[in-house]
Amino acid sequence: MGKVINIQPVTRIEGHAKVAIHLDDAGNVADTKFHVQTLRGFEKFCEGRPAEEMPRIVCHICGICPWAHHLASSKAGDAVFGVTPPPAAVKLRRLMQNIAYVSDKILHFYFLAAPDFVIGPDADYSVRNVVGIVGAAPDIAKQVVHYRHLGAQMLEHFAGRAIHPTFSLPGGVSKPMNEAERQEMLPQAKELLEFAKFTIKFAKENVFPKYLDAIQKLGVIKVGYLGTVNDEGALDFYDGKLRLMQPDGAFEEFTYEQYTDFIGEHVEPWSYQKFPYAKKWGGFALDLENPKGVYRTNTLARINVADKMKTPLAQAELEEFRAAFGRPAHQTLLYHYARLIELVQCAEEAVQLLEDPEITSPEVRTKIEPREARGVGCVEAPRGTLIHDYETDKDGLIKSVNLIVGTTHNNAAINLSVNQAAKETIKGGNYDQGILNKVEMAVRAYDP
Amino acid sequence: MLSEIFDKSILIFGCGNILLGDDGFGPAVVKRLNDNHALPEHALALDMGTGVREVLFDLILSESKPEKIIIVDAVDHPGRQPGEVFEIAVEDIPAKKIADFSLHQFPTVNMLKELKDHTGIDITILAAQVQEIPEELREGLTPPLAAAVEEACRRILRNI
Repeated sequence: MGKVINIQPVTRIEGHAKVAIHLDDAGNVADTKFHVQTLRGFEKFCEGRPAEEMPRIVCHICGICPWAHHLASSKAGDAVFGVTPPPAAVKLRRLMQNIAYVSDKILHFYFLAAPDFVIGPDADYSVRNVVGIVGAAPDIAKQVVHYRHLGAQMLEHFAGRAIHPTFSLPGGVSKPMNEAERQEMLPQAKELLEFAKFTIKFAKENVFPKYLDAIQKLGVIKVGYLGTVNDEGALDFYDGKLRLMQPDGAFEEFTYEQYTDFIGEHVEPWSYQKFPYAKKWGGFALDLENPKGVYRTNTLARINVADKMKTPLAQAELEEFRAAFGRPAHQTLLYHYARLIELVQCAEEAVQLLEDPEITSPEVRTKIEPREARGVGCVEAPRGTLIHDYETDKDGLIKSVNLIVGTTHNNAAINLSVNQAAKETIKGGNYDQGILNKVEMAVRAYDP
Repeated sequence: MLSEIFDKSILIFGCGNILLGDDGFGPAVVKRLNDNHALPEHALALDMGTGVREVLFDLILSESKPEKIIIVDAVDHPGRQPGEVFEIAVEDIPAKKIADFSLHQFPTVNMLKELKDHTGIDITILAAQVQEIPEELREGLTPPLAAAVEEACRRILRNI
């Protein structure tokens, strides 16, 4: 019997992901498994609750992406009640989403991705961490905190709560924006945009070039992609059509309600987490040489499926990216690069929204009446396409709920990338902490 | 408000998921502190849900730091009675190589240790022993934990 290498947390307080690498008798990688714990029983928990309460409840699903759940749930609520929120409400939802995502993307890049790149994957764990970043780049650390704090301030001052938001609800949002608030937030959004521009420039000049070799080799898998595009084919975080792209770049589009026709949910006996797959691609197989039905979501997926970015500076970045890596780009570590192109779009769109005088319209809510219906709400969460699918009875109470969250879409792909990275780096039973960290880097790119 | 974290010298973070039975102890303590007690001007109690890591990242990197952080959390420790409230020293928690895969998965313990070791902030973990963490989502504390909320509040108020 060969050996099993486990990369896992030593405490159960938080951090439940685990990678198991099975070696054969010769010490080569025979198999790998990526496990992640999921919250169970959400569907049953929601049954019988008023649909309009869902946007408030779902923020507790995830402490890291409350705004994505909050907005996907509000949109599912819009659909079950059959209402269209006023234009200013949609703009305010988009604004809050973009500001929340700027903070998230900054955090991920500087604190989780950058230690691997700035300090290096082979460095001892005691320095390859957040404190290591402070030592290596103290001025940047200060700026990161400043701009994340600014984002939290903007969300709280306007929407009331940043962590468990109560701002959005079916039919619209809970308050309009006045002119003084717009005047206050516009220069703040411009500051965020300047830092986004600095970040991608810094990464392109100082971080990515050192790791071109790793980018080309580590965790690379050739699978499909899922993301949201608007009517013009541009990447849209808040609304649009879902576009499912095959590994060769051919794609189909569908509405939110049609997702069950295109996406199946496969179950493996060793994992509680489901494996969504593309139904029309000939079944499901977690086979590194010949994967079937596997697609990815999250940053790289969105960048691949979109014809273009929605804003000019992000578009210029996409053009530079595509000139270097093509479309679709399959290199897993490019998730980090794609995340920064998205960062630019989020900050740019926040500025555009605040420059639009219509955002201060007092019309921010459409009245809702309970009815028996199904409604699917979807947004692009930081970690991938987030689907909330609700059914209500005639009193507007929840009858059934189905959620597919970003990381779940990526379950199959993360397993394949871990397998590829382990096979690429562990040979003849030889491995050390630096090698195991390279396997982890393949996981971290997805930010599961 | 989250935006006040750099202005206060004492931060109290209630951690846990209110949809997961006794895991909601930390948020329940914060709610009671804010609703039923008068916190001093220099203290801030926040329900961080399951998102405390983001703020810990910021505090590690920030130049302005609080003097004291109190983490209120539900735990399952051998040999303790449900509803028992006790302190855990950060140094008693093993912080070896821990899987820092993602923001969802990043272990808080690691960050608390980094904060304590590198910044000199006084960090207390005030824990309550759970009776039960349900396998599936369910709202509400069990009676022993509900009874422990006030005791935790008093211990915090004595310490700030």
